[in-house]
This record gives sequence, structure tokens and C-alpha cells, in this order.
Amino acid sequence: MLIYALVAGVLFGLYFSLVGIGLNLVFGVMRIVNLAHGDILMLGAFVAFGVVALAGIDPLFAVPLAFVLFVLVGFLLYWVLVPRLQGSVNPEMLSIILFFGLSQVIEAVTTIFFGTSERSIQSRMLGTVFSTIRIKLFGGKPGASGPIQIFGQGFPAAWVIASITSLIAIALVYLYLYRTRLGTLTRAVMSRRDEALATGIDVDRISAAAFGIGLGLAAVAGVFAPFMFGSVTPAFGADATVTSFAIVVLGSLGNPLGTALGGVVYGVCYMLVQTYLSSWADLLPYVLLIFILLLRPSGLLGRRVRVA
Amino acid sequence: MLKITGAVLAAGLALGTQALAADAPAEIKIGTLYASSGRFASISMPVHSALKLWAEQKNAEGGVFVKAFDKKIPVKLVAYDDQSNTATASTLYNQLITQDKVDLLVADSGSVLTAPAVAIARDHKMFLFDQTGTGASFFSKDNPYIALMADPVSTVWPKPVADFVSQDGPGLGIKKIAILYSTNEFTGTQANAFRKFVKDSGAPIEIVYDQGIPTETTNYTVIINNIANTQPDAVIHFGYAPNDIAFLRNVADVGVNFKMLFSIYAGLETELLEKNVGEKGLEYVYTYVPPSELEYPVNFGMDMKAYKAAWDKKYSDGKVEFGFNAVAGYTTGLVIEKTLSVATSLDQMELRRAVFSLSGELKTLDGTFALDEMGGQIGELTPLGQLRLDDHGHIKFVSIYPHETATGKPVYPRP
Repeated sequence: MLIYALVAGVLFGLYFSLVGIGLNLVFGVMRIVNLAHGDILMLGAFVAFGVVALAGIDPLFAVPLAFVLFVLVGFLLYWVLVPRLQGSVNPEMLSIILFFGLSQVIEAVTTIFFGTSERSIQSRMLGTVFSTIRIKLFGGKPGASGPIQIFGQGFPAAWVIASITSLIAIALVYLYLYRTRLGTLTRAVMSRRDEALATGIDVDRISAAAFGIGLGLAAVAGVFAPFMFGSVTPAFGADATVTSFAIVVLGSLGNPLGTALGGVVYGVCYMLVQTYLSSWADLLPYVLLIFILLLRPSGLLGRRVRVA
Repeated sequence: MLKITGAVLAAGLALGTQALAADAPAEIKIGTLYASSGRFASISMPVHSALKLWAEQKNAEGGVFVKAFDKKIPVKLVAYDDQSNTATASTLYNQLITQDKVDLLVADSGSVLTAPAVAIARDHKMFLFDQTGTGASFFSKDNPYIALMADPVSTVWPKPVADFVSQDGPGLGIKKIAILYSTNEFTGTQANAFRKFVKDSGAPIEIVYDQGIPTETTNYTVIINNIANTQPDAVIHFGYAPNDIAFLRNVADVGVNFKMLFSIYAGLETELLEKNVGEKGLEYVYTYVPPSELEYPVNFGMDMKAYKAAWDKKYSDGKVEFGFNAVAGYTTGLVIEKTLSVATSLDQMELRRAVFSLSGELKTLDGTFALDEMGGQIGELTPLGQLRLDDHGHIKFVSIYPHETATGKPVYPRP
């Protein structure tokens, strides 16, 4: 039971790293709390529903589509909302109100168009592209994709695919931040926004890119949400935002790569609690949040307490 | 003298009739809540949509007959969205009673969102038309202000599955069972009742796993692994529709094949579950057989066929699924209609008397409406069934217990 819980926790946690990393990137660069983060996740899931319903293809194809689509949405939203917000006296507080409103609007509009019922995608649909490639290269017959064996125990194939996608996404974020010029500038803005502005960095352009990428990553996480949570409704966003926030604070607020660690810690803790104290499992995000704020306010990878 | 007396009597009668007509309200206000979002939206919206369908149908006919005013009066639904939030629901129930001053109070769907209404209705001495809130604690001898419209009360609802497990189970090889339930009034009560029925039966059944988990649980992989480690012969899962969706999907994803698997909503909201879990995931799952599969004879309102046709016409976009809850909402409308036709006033205790007078007499598409002395529904019982696939790969119900209503034998263990 322990080994199963630990492996499940790592897989689940890696996925949650992807869920939280976009939120942290946005906060790190702009000092804005995107309370509509979970709703972008939900919309990502609806992109996957659309891909499956309209094209009948593997929902993995929704990953690049959702990313590109929401990067563009992010750019657009940034130019419409954020400069005005940054010009206000208290942008952090106002961002909470603004994005809470945006969250409500997204939920309401999605409900109007798609209804309130749970929606999902059959698990066997995910990863069919791999079995097609396998058959083309090595022959054989298409069969139902079963669980994946790790340490002799079966885990849902969707979890493994989502975890691998998360690892790839985290690696790409790392490469972006530490191996590209835009990433270096992004880190400069994250470190000291005022100084970056004074040195001539186009802070708006950097911020717009970070906002777009943040939303794009959330949408990618959303593609896997129907497989990780059983189903998705338009109201799914609020819970996802809370969990994301807990993971971000756990890792380190303002440090996107800390989120990767935060997600894994959260996932392992969640599975252990579900195994040994199942009634208490849903309290975990809040308990972790309280503990980390009391014991290490800067987060697991934080170097210092950020002065807001 | 006779002429004068006759004139006085005639004038008195005319005045009396005028007074009665003048007292009659322009509409009967029915206050209710619904959840357009959140965890309970999928069980609330079908109930609310059905109640709206009933109200529109009646208003198209000029309203419902109200005996207290001896005339047909249109009904007006005063409905607010509680967004599946119990705190919001509490505020809105209060608003319906104190601000809107509704004539009749109808609870939202499900025990979680009905719970706040029970206490508020009682405090305000307002009779509560409880649509589908089956929690045991709602019904007590000292609370006359409630009656359950359309579901069996949770203390008796799981009896068919418990009786099947304890009476037929040992013969089939069921000796060890696992119980998993969401910790809320509805499924918690069902789990308690099921456990009690099995233990009281004296059957040689051992409960090897018995855990409550938060209602918000969306991931069961580790829990399923823990249950599988106890090697149960039957797994009984009591959860809401989103719980059942996640649970049944995870069972298939992990590749575990429990010999017997019971879930509530596989039968109650089959359309919804089929969309999310798929036919294969539901095959051989044990569940309650809903009224839509049983075609009860009716003495009031539409029968199932006519009602399904009316539903499909009104809600053709498919955004709200037709299932057990859609039937429950319409049944509530029928009970309200019949109540108003026999109640001599709109006084809340008179409404209660009128509702209870229907017990055992009213037969709707949901079965026989019958109440116990505390207002719990005991008439609309759901047999235990098993889902199978027909020749076209579509889900069909096979009723297996009680034996007298059985349409087939159980397939055990699950292939």
C-alpha cells in the first residue's frame, strides 16, 4: 500500500506541478494573483472535449492546440487588463478582485454554452497516437490501452502520460527561463521589476509573454483534467485555483521551478493521507498551506520572505 | 318577510363569494433553489428543470386548481441559484420565506442542499416540500414541517441491495464486502443503513473495508488499490454522481475487476454516467432500478412515456440529462398540484395535512406516494438491478432483487 501510494503520489504530484506552474510564472513576473487560473484549466479541458468530439482524434493533439490558443488569449488579455492594473495604487489587491470577476464570467459563459453536467473523455482515447505509431512501425493489432505496470502494480495510463507531459513542460519552462534571452529578461523582471524597467527592459513585452505562457501551461494541464479528476464541469475552476495556490506557496511563491517540487510534495502527501486517513484528504491543501506559512513562509525553495 | 330574508341571504352569498375571489391571490408563489454550478448541479438542474416544465404546463392550462379559493390560479416559481453552496442556500431559503413570502417552500435537490432548508423551514413554521433530500436526520417526530416527495428515505433505500448481499450473497460466494461512502448526509445515511441491515441479518458476511471519504473526492486510484488488497467479494460504493463517475473510471483505468460492484448513480443518472464512464465501464454494475425503467401505473399526471416525450421536446439541447432526478422534480410538481387541490387553506399545517392525505393514494410515474409518520418517503422504492449491454451495445437494466420483481438473474462474478 505504501509503495503504491508513493508512486501514485509522484505521478499525481507531477501533474499538479503542471497545474501550478503557470500560476507561479504569472505571479513571479507580474505580482498578480490570477484567480481565473483554474478556469483556464477548465477551458483547456473543453478544448480537449472539442478535439475529441469534432475530430475524434487522440486528446493529446489538444495539448499544442490549447497551448497556442491560450498563449494568444493571454497576450490579448494582458494588453486589455494588466497595464491598467499595474498603473493602480495596489495592483496585487486589485488583481484579486479583477481576476475573481473574470473567473465568474468564464464559468457563467461556459455554463450557458455547455450546461452544468459533468463531461469527460474515455480513458482509452488518450495515447491512441502511440499505439497507432507502434502498429505502423512494428505491426500488431490495436487493443485497449490498459494500466501501466510500475513496481508490479497497475497505474492508469493517463496518469503516466500526464506526468511525462508535465515533466516535458517543466523542462521547457526551465530552458525558457535559463537558456533563452527572453527567459533571462523574464528572471530580471521577476527579481526586481523597477530595476528592470530602469535598465531599459521592455517589461510589458516580457510580462505579456509570461502571462501568455502561464495561461498556455494552465490550458495544457486542463487537457488532462478529465482523466485525472474523472470529469470536469464549468465550476471546476475554483477548486483547481485553490489547490494550485497551495502548491505554488508550498514550492515558493514567485519561483516557477519551486512549483515542481511543491506539486510532488502535495501529490505524495495527498496519496498518503488518502491511504491512511482518507476522511481528511480534502483538508490537505489548507493544512499544507498553514504549515508552510508558519514554518517556512518563503516556501520549500524560497530564499527569503518576499515583501509584498 | 321571506322575500327580505331571501334577499339578505343572496346578498350575503354574493358578498361572501366576492370576498373569496378578492382574497384569492393572483398567483401561488412556490419558492425554491437550484444549483446551476458546483458539485450538485448535475442532480439539481434536472429536478429544477422538471419543476419548471410542470409549472409551465399548468400555467398553459390556466394554473392549478386551488381548493382554498375554489378556482384555478397560476403558479409562479420564485427560484434562486445557490451554486451548490450551503451557506448561500441558507441565506436564500431565508429570503424566500421572509422577503418573498412564498406560499410553498420547495428544497433544492439532494440532502446536502436540503439540510439548511430543514432547520430554516422548521424555525419559520413553513412546510418543506423536500424533493430528494433523503438524509435520516431530516425526519423526526418533533418536526411536522417536512415531507419527502420523490426518493425513498435513505434509511430504507439501501434495503434491496443489503438484502441481496445478505440473503442471496452467501449462495453466490459473497463472504467479504467493502463499503466506501462519501461523508455527507445522503450517502453517509445509506452506508449506515446498509451496514445495519447486513449486520442485523446475521448472514455470514464480513465487512473487510469500511471507509468514508470527502464528498469532493475526485480521485480513487489509491483507494481502489487499498480495497483490492482486502480481496472483497463485493464492493458497495455510496457516492454522488461525480463520485461515481470518478470511481468507476478509476476502477477501469487501474485494471481491477471487482466481482460485484454497486453504485447509486449508475442507475439514477444512467445517461450522465454512460457519457462519462462509457458502456463498458457500466456493464455488470449493480445499481438501483429507477422508475423510468419500471413504468408504474399512474392515477395522476403524465405516465413515463408522455413525460419523456414532453421533456425531450422542451429540453432538446441535451444540456440537462433525463434521469431519476428529472422524474423527481416532476413528481414534486404533481404532489404540490394534488395538495393544493385538497387543502382547504394555504396554512402550512393544512398543507401538511393535505400532503399526508395523499399517502398511499397518489400514484405517479415515480410509483406510489407513501409517507411514514415523520414525512419520510417509503413508497417509491427502487429494486436492485444490474446493468447489461444489449445486442447493440446499449445499456439495459435487469432487475434482480426482490425476486418478485426480478427480470433476470445476477451475473456474478463480474466477467
